[in-house]
Amino acid sequence: MAAIAGPAINKMSKISRRDLLQFIGAGGVGVAGGILYGEGVQRNVEFLIPQVVPPEDYSPGVATWYNTVCNQCSAGCGISVRIREGKAKKIEGNPVHPVSQGRLCARGQAGLNVLYNPDRIRTPLQNAAQRGSGNYAEISWDEALTTLGSRIGRLKIEGKAGRVRLLTGRTRGHLDELFAQFMGLLGSEHYQQYDFTYPAAIRAANRISFGVDQLPYYDIKHADFLLSFGADYLGTWLSPVHHSLAYGHLRQGRQGRRGKTVQIEPRMSLSGAAADEWIAARPGTEGLLALGIAHALVNAGNYLGSDRDEWSIALEAYSPSTVSAETDVSEESIVRLATEFSAPGTSLAIAGGATAAGTNAVASVVAVNALNYLAGNLGQRGGVIFNSDPAFSATAGSRQAGLRGMLDLVEAMEAGDVEVLLVHDTNPVYALPENVRFRRAMENVPLIVALSSFHDETTAMADFILPTNTYLESWGDDVPDPGVGFPVASISQPVVAKLYDTLAVGDIILLLARRIGGELPIRLHWATMEEFIKERWREEYELRSAAGEDQDFEAFWRASLEAGVWGQPGAATGDESVPSSSSMIASITDPVSKFAGSESDYPFVLHPYLTATFTDGRGANLPWLQELPDPMTSVVYGSWAELNPVTADELGIREGDILEVESPAGSIRVPALIFPAIRPGVIAIPIGQGHSAYGRYASDRGVNPIHIVATQVDDQSGDLAWAATRVRIKRTGERLRIIKTDGVTRTLGRQILGPKNDHA
Amino acid sequence: MSTIVEKLRQYSKPGYYDKFDYHWTMTIDLDRCTGCEACVVACQAENNLPIVGEERFAENREIKWIRIERYWEGEYPDIKMGFIPMLCQQCDDAPCETACPVYATYHNQDGLNTQIYNRCIGTRTCAVYCPYEVRYFNWFTYTWDEPLEQQLNPDVTVREKGVMEKCTFCIQRIRIAKDNAKDDNRRRVRDGEVVPACVQSCPTEALVFGNSNDPEAKVSKMMKSPRGYKVLEELHTTPSIVYLTKVQS
Repeated sequence: MAAIAGPAINKMSKISRRDLLQFIGAGGVGVAGGILYGEGVQRNVEFLIPQVVPPEDYSPGVATWYNTVCNQCSAGCGISVRIREGKAKKIEGNPVHPVSQGRLCARGQAGLNVLYNPDRIRTPLQNAAQRGSGNYAEISWDEALTTLGSRIGRLKIEGKAGRVRLLTGRTRGHLDELFAQFMGLLGSEHYQQYDFTYPAAIRAANRISFGVDQLPYYDIKHADFLLSFGADYLGTWLSPVHHSLAYGHLRQGRQGRRGKTVQIEPRMSLSGAAADEWIAARPGTEGLLALGIAHALVNAGNYLGSDRDEWSIALEAYSPSTVSAETDVSEESIVRLATEFSAPGTSLAIAGGATAAGTNAVASVVAVNALNYLAGNLGQRGGVIFNSDPAFSATAGSRQAGLRGMLDLVEAMEAGDVEVLLVHDTNPVYALPENVRFRRAMENVPLIVALSSFHDETTAMADFILPTNTYLESWGDDVPDPGVGFPVASISQPVVAKLYDTLAVGDIILLLARRIGGELPIRLHWATMEEFIKERWREEYELRSAAGEDQDFEAFWRASLEAGVWGQPGAATGDESVPSSSSMIASITDPVSKFAGSESDYPFVLHPYLTATFTDGRGANLPWLQELPDPMTSVVYGSWAELNPVTADELGIREGDILEVESPAGSIRVPALIFPAIRPGVIAIPIGQGHSAYGRYASDRGVNPIHIVATQVDDQSGDLAWAATRVRIKRTGERLRIIKTDGVTRTLGRQILGPKNDHA
Repeated sequence: MSTIVEKLRQYSKPGYYDKFDYHWTMTIDLDRCTGCEACVVACQAENNLPIVGEERFAENREIKWIRIERYWEGEYPDIKMGFIPMLCQQCDDAPCETACPVYATYHNQDGLNTQIYNRCIGTRTCAVYCPYEVRYFNWFTYTWDEPLEQQLNPDVTVREKGVMEKCTFCIQRIRIAKDNAKDDNRRRVRDGEVVPACVQSCPTEALVFGNSNDPEAKVSKMMKSPRGYKVLEELHTTPSIVYLTKVQS
């Protein structure tokens, strides 16, 4: 066991954690006591003489780099943060981290806008008026924690601890364990997570297909032929930075061998723009298309497994001609894709986006998995490589509530079964359809506590707001999901002293445990999150050190902190997968998504899509991302609805005409944008804007298409089928100028993109 | 007199800098570029580009030293999107340089087209002359909502109203690398020692930067690709950026 160490380490100054803490304590940034005790004593004298006795680590003009983990999406990229004079100046990828490998996306770099966001919550707040009015009064940590501790403690004594619920986003690592322990000791089994972008269907499908509960490593880097069903792997799917690195290699990283990519989706995404071939199959039939390709593959005799006959029978109904009629993809294309997919060389099929968000989501992903199985891509370089059990936090994914879990929660809240709701790092009021009525159900909860850095829509309903440190000010750890094919764990450390009277969320839980009393403070005895994490890492270290380890724990800990990551690159991948063709075959049912709303009343399919900048709306409060032109349309600061030019012509719609987009579940008003790469009959609206709260950069800007999605559940995963709603559109007669940077979007004979050629 | 004329003749010839140590060059492989715009944010962070706000954006007054241009080709369903990162091409025969009445923009011995903010009087002539439209004018003195200003890079000036600005190839990073080389008693910086923010961030490694005077540098090798071309070459601006076309299959 050795920390992945490399050239990046000499980027960092050789200082110990103690020095850093001294620096945090004395470095003139203030709030010294707060880190340890949470009382947040501000010693003003430190502001007056900040540099008379400069701290050890402080040399003006010299930059230090600290490695930590990005928390802007769930990929878990390692990052290096450049610090000068105690301030964070730049975020770059951590070169020794196997996920990001020194690279980083737009959103990861905008992490500085999270840290220095002017709209951060700076002190604990208590609701001073009507709930939701945004009228809060500042209180002290002591007061807030004592009040909450006694309320929750009383419920525990009365045996009503089950009426306390904890809802978080996608918490991983030991923070997840701390939450679970806290709730367990309290006597409540209601610890759930809700993340709109969580790949529930992919996980469920992989359980069925391969018998594993881990996301596998999709080895795009070594593939020769990549077939993506709706997965925007370069923008939003699972681990975009890592996939982008892989994509670069697939294209130009191998001498004389250029991989080909094909993208199947109704509206061109970043990955569709990068693809050699973009196929706009009829929405909701992508799984069926995969079965058609599978049929052609087996029929052509390219699958030689012993269960060949079973597959032939199972796929009999999905001949290319039948599938062609349903999917609107030519028979010739289907057969050709099957040939290319089973050609010599490595091939890989992936599924995500709208394909994994229909009412048939799991069935569709299983069909794509079947393609990988039939082409012999499982466990192969350039194919699907199974991850071993992660170093820790194996259970985090199972806490994802999905739509079904959230509906249960809403029901419980409406029935008055929830006395206390603790919310952290999730915004269900925004990221659930309005029909779920999450906000209204919250009104029935007597006490809502938000552990949050920003006033988002869900936080706005809280009675108490406990302001949290951002990820750049917190201790934590993480196991990237999906993994990279070998065991990896990253450490997250504070890179700057915290700016305000806030606390890390783990520290809040530990302090709260102390106020609740009973066995909680005895079992959760750690003074801080840092102590807790270090102890857990020590246990992990001791477990593994039997395998021949020569450095002591302190040295190992320091090396891991410097590198920001620990991993075993050589370790064998855990191949506990048992591809089960019988269960895959059994799952080949219901291959077409069922849309809410009839085609006659609602002629268009609504295609909400995630953007690389805002994803599920969390990035909307970052000014750099608001000012970043959308990659496909160049629009900034707002929402738009994309229409095919022919459709727009027929309906007499021009860019900027405000449309009323109405689904069976509700309606929104949004300006039209003519987009040449979208299937006629589809209306695409980006997710992310349309916040009613969330600070000055996000609020009252654009619309949120999730709100008009019909509440349909994919039965097998229990998750929201957010790509299965039909809509109708109406011109309102009003117009709005869409702000975008694009002028002329054709090259008009100028060779701006270079002369045509076919050099590989 | 004759020596001055000689020098003028010599210096007005493209490639005169060959005898200097560096000629900073970039290659951009469009077959790798996915248009993700990581470079755009990286540049914004590194070079203290202002947040101009919605209103200013609507007036086309945004400031982005590097941007992604998009070009459609074909019609649905046979439609393709081509992305091309566009930034100052650091032209050897830069039209902007000849235009400036106060010599605020000039060519330095590293082959960089540099902008001296203190000299600029804001005639905006250079922006008119630039065929790549990569020069940006500060119509206002922009401010940062407190405490966003804490992020500002102390190695880079914050510009104010009336000044033209543009990509510098992250000259502050070049300076630091040169200083380090000097401290190590090396005459030149090593290949890969200078990495501008956009190149550093690029998740597909589409951007490569280096000294094209060094035949062993990665960038020199990339420039020799048969896919290489320069944008608007026909204008004889002699750009320092070589693009590699996307492979059409």
